[in-house]
Amino acid sequence: MADAGTQQLFELWRKQLEEGAAAWSKLMSPPTPPPPTDPMAFWRPMVDQWVQASARAFAQTPMTPDALAQWKQFLDQSIDAWSRALGQAMNTEAFAQMLGRYLDQWLVASAPIKKAGDQAIDQALQTLNVASRSQLTAVAKQIVELEERVERIEEAVNAVLRAVQRERA
Amino acid sequence: MGQERFADIVERFAGGYRDGVASEPAPDTVRRWQEEIERQQRRVQNLAEMIFNPTDPKVGCTPREEIFRTNKSRLYRYQSRRTHRTPVLFVPNLGISRPYIFDLLPGGSFVEHMTREGFDFYLLDWGVFGPEDNGLTFEDCVAKILPKMAHKVLETSGADELSILGYCMGAPLSVSFVASHPEVPVRNYINMAGPIDFSEVGLFGLWLDRRYFNVDRFVDTLGAVPADMVKAGFKLLKPTMDLSTNINLWWNLWNDKYVEGFNALNRWANEYVAFPGEFFRQWVRDFYQGNKLYRGELVFGGRPVRLASITAPLFVVGAKEDYIAPPACVRALIDAVSSRDKEYVELPGGHISLIAGRGASLHCWPKVSSWLAPRSN
Repeated sequence: MADAGTQQLFELWRKQLEEGAAAWSKLMSPPTPPPPTDPMAFWRPMVDQWVQASARAFAQTPMTPDALAQWKQFLDQSIDAWSRALGQAMNTEAFAQMLGRYLDQWLVASAPIKKAGDQAIDQALQTLNVASRSQLTAVAKQIVELEERVERIEEAVNAVLRAVQRERA
Repeated sequence: MGQERFADIVERFAGGYRDGVASEPAPDTVRRWQEEIERQQRRVQNLAEMIFNPTDPKVGCTPREEIFRTNKSRLYRYQSRRTHRTPVLFVPNLGISRPYIFDLLPGGSFVEHMTREGFDFYLLDWGVFGPEDNGLTFEDCVAKILPKMAHKVLETSGADELSILGYCMGAPLSVSFVASHPEVPVRNYINMAGPIDFSEVGLFGLWLDRRYFNVDRFVDTLGAVPADMVKAGFKLLKPTMDLSTNINLWWNLWNDKYVEGFNALNRWANEYVAFPGEFFRQWVRDFYQGNKLYRGELVFGGRPVRLASITAPLFVVGAKEDYIAPPACVRALIDAVSSRDKEYVELPGGHISLIAGRGASLHCWPKVSSWLAPRSN
């Protein structure tokens, strides 16, 4: 019993000595910088979990190309679900109203810019003595009208020819 | 159990489990992995080919001749055995897209199918309109262009009657023509995915509602509807389409036949066509906002457009997953006409897959040709 008591006292003394020495060395030495932050620390448990889960999955079933097909199926189903959700969101009065308002604002904002741009280009082309887009469009319109006239004349001539042929027959 | 290193997992994956958890992979698994690796190689090869050496797909291969043209519009007659006496005039949509989708690739072409079945097949290509055509209206198409086309079909075929097939917007265009021109001898009429009752037209109907969409401001500002605007409208209708298309392309990239079809379809799907301004104004105001065709309130060229005046045999085809012209708005034609011989079928697929692709060749085309054949002699 006495031996055990001595041993306990000795252990207590040793512990106090060690802690005291540690406290003194800590006080005397320069402050240690904090350990660098690990950017992966937050994600590590999740990555470890994923690795473990994958390992278990590999252990239970051998990896086959079916897994890729299943992945594709999952992807298709996800896209389909998204498509349906978006479809529902867009099939609302609120979305139609928002779209209409956005389009109106865009038209109101772009109209003067477009007009000013067209005028500037027209003036520049006029200075260079080159036909402008509006002039070319006007010529094209005239050609279309001319074509229509020719068609009408062609139809009239054909009608006359048919009538003459009928009379001859 | 201690934590496994990733390298351990890879080692086990490659070499199997020696601790009895899993043994050597089955020969079938190995063979399938080999196939998958070969496919992966083909995918990379085809992708490199698509990026660095893109080839222009040969579309519209069925032989044809141009028999009439007016402004930008062309009427084509396709070569065939012409075993059926009544010619067929096919009227597709104006604007939006090019009509070579109907003759996309040999073996996957609606035109090829119809000509092989012995129909004297005519296609109206409305053409690509420019700013000089901004004054063209829906009414001009119905009252001026379509009568000329029908007349040319009868003249060149030598037939007394013709059948008319309208697809998409081509259906309201051609049905307006048929309803307002009772003197034109229409033997049969077919509506494929063409909207008729615009109160049931879905998303576009809501977005173009007069409370939210000011068509006058739109046309007055822009003059026409640019191709990019048309594209944006259709992309918005199905925002996930591009993503799923690209995923499916990657998945099937090893398959040369799929890649060939994809190239052709992709070229078509990205070639949008502008709308003439006045055409768009009338299309939105009278059809989407006014539903005047279905209500019988349209007057084109001084003639009333009454669907009830149509008495020709009628065949209507709707697509179950059509979000551009939902089945309900297509089917409405059945109840609106006075025809006694009329039939409606609703087929699987969407607006495009109804007329193009493998599904169409199995489900849709044979139905159309088998309905039309006995009524064309």
